[in-house]
Amino acid sequence: MRNFDDDPALAELLAPERQQDLLRLLQGVTGHRFALSDQPQADAETVEFNLDGVAWLSCAADPQLQAPTARLIEFILTYVGKYRLAANLHHDIAEASFAELQRQHAALQDSEARYRQLSEQLQAQVAAQVKVIEQTQQELYESARLRAIGQLAAGVAHEINNPIGFISSNLRVAEDYVKEIKQGIAGDSAFNALIEDFQALLKESASGTQRIASIVSDLKTFSNIDQADFISCDLNDLLHTSCHLLQAEFSHMLDIELQLGNIGSISGYPAKLSQVFFNVLDNAAKAVEGKGRIRVISRQGAAGHPEVVIEDNGCGISTASLERIFDPFFTTRPVGSGTGLGLTVARETMMAHQGEISIRSREGIGTRVTLKFG
Amino acid sequence: MIKKAFANMSEYIPHERKLTIKVVYYGPALSGKTTNLMQLHTLLQPQRKGELMVLETRDDRTLFFDMLPIGLRSESGLELRLKLYTVPGQVQHDSTRKAVLARVDGVIFVADSQPAQQDNNANAFDNLADNLQKVGIDIENLPLVVQFNKRDAPGAVGEGELQSRWSDTPWSPLCMAAAINGEGVVESYRVLLERLYPVLDREFQLAEVEHISADAFVRQLSRVG
Ligand SMILES: Nc1nc2c(ncn2[C@@H]2O[C@H](COP(=O)(O)OP(=O)(O)OP(=O)(O)O)[C@@H](O)[C@H]2O)c(=O)[nH]1
Ligand SMILES: [Mg+2]
Repeated sequence: MRNFDDDPALAELLAPERQQDLLRLLQGVTGHRFALSDQPQADAETVEFNLDGVAWLSCAADPQLQAPTARLIEFILTYVGKYRLAANLHHDIAEASFAELQRQHAALQDSEARYRQLSEQLQAQVAAQVKVIEQTQQELYESARLRAIGQLAAGVAHEINNPIGFISSNLRVAEDYVKEIKQGIAGDSAFNALIEDFQALLKESASGTQRIASIVSDLKTFSNIDQADFISCDLNDLLHTSCHLLQAEFSHMLDIELQLGNIGSISGYPAKLSQVFFNVLDNAAKAVEGKGRIRVISRQGAAGHPEVVIEDNGCGISTASLERIFDPFFTTRPVGSGTGLGLTVARETMMAHQGEISIRSREGIGTRVTLKFG
Repeated sequence: MIKKAFANMSEYIPHERKLTIKVVYYGPALSGKTTNLMQLHTLLQPQRKGELMVLETRDDRTLFFDMLPIGLRSESGLELRLKLYTVPGQVQHDSTRKAVLARVDGVIFVADSQPAQQDNNANAFDNLADNLQKVGIDIENLPLVVQFNKRDAPGAVGEGELQSRWSDTPWSPLCMAAAINGEGVVESYRVLLERLYPVLDREFQLAEVEHISADAFVRQLSRVG
């Protein structure tokens, strides 16, 4: 590309037609023909522009006219040249500005695309954060609710513990007294029937207090679990023990299939974990009612975390009940057969172990409880 | 025609044996660039001197550029052409400054000695450095003279202070001028010619091939009266 400050050739200052116009005008003024060349000619007068020879003027009829006419043309070319230089400079600048504008435009589009992408990412992040916050809020709400219930339960348990203690020891003493009275009035058949009734009453009361004591113990578990007590636990060992206990409870009549995988050990509170397994297994045993089968699976789950699955093909749980299954004191069984805290305690315990418990069930088909450890 | 790999203009056209050199007067608005050129036009009597082209002005402010061509034909037959340009100093004409600066061989930076103009001087010098970089010229290797003009102005910053302020730069010592009175104009121009010669000599063997010495180069191109 030519630059604005390159020395111009004659044709760039005056186009050939304009050169002809000029020669005609000169002829009109002088009455002689002139010739203009852009190449050096012998006997011609040099026409300069900015010290450069740009044209060679000759007038064969009257060479005397060549010099003054060349000066006249130089005078004209000075102004033509000024305009040419300014126009060329303007053209150079416009082109450079346009190139710069295009570069800026491309850069702008680039950055716009980047920002759009960024904004999309941000939007996704915000959405994800909102989800996390909502979930945390829900969990917070639930754990606050559970904590309130737990505190209430702990208070109740504490208050009940004392009277239960003296009631059960009083009952034992009363049983002894009744035994002595029975011996003292030996043979008096009128009182005999009464005494035996009395003994039965006492016995029933004693077993009642026993049950109250076990409810109180559940309440205490439910209301406090402390990670400071964590030790290394072999989950498979705990499952074995829990199954043994369960079999003892159900007179070894249960059909339990164990599929225990190699899952290593976790850090936890063995007594509480055993209780979780036992509670879930106990529910399964009650669901199969001696007819179905219980399967206990332990395996390496997603992300290498251990999980335990306890499933049965028993009566299953209705959708309505499933929704409330973890609520404290919720139970489907007849009053007196359970506290309704078993699964609540299980969930609290799993949470304390960075784990979770989930239940799937269909009525008449069976139930699967999955315990995932974090 | 030889095409040179770097961005300077100095251009040698072999069949015409012509070497064209471009010098630019740069600096803040109203510092006296045009005045420098007008004085050179009056004062210099080189072998050949063209017309001073004052391209376009508004209220005496340069809008495009001014240009003064100077010519010299060496005994060896080399046509030396020196084209002296000014740029518009006003901030808004930056693209014009950049266009004029393209392919420059040497710069005379005309600063204003008045105390109130010192910030403008600094900004204009930064702008020179910026634009040189944009047109692909390394300021460190460019023949460059810094002239403090308007020494006659009342309250002009003292020469000692200016010299010591610039003493750590490659452009020390500074040239002092009162262009309006023609003082220091030719001297500044000569200093530039002295700094220009070695660069040109390295490239075009002025001494060896053309038999133009540094002294002859400066003397002939800056002959006065
Ligand atoms: N006192 C004083 N005034 C000067 C001197 N040199 C120039 N001037 C004045 O400063 C004004 C600007 O001078 P110019 O030569 O047009 O300045 P310029 O650098 O070409 O300005 P731009 O074209 O706008 O960049 C004019 O009024 C000059 O008369 C000087 O040495 N002393
Ligand atoms: Mg000017």
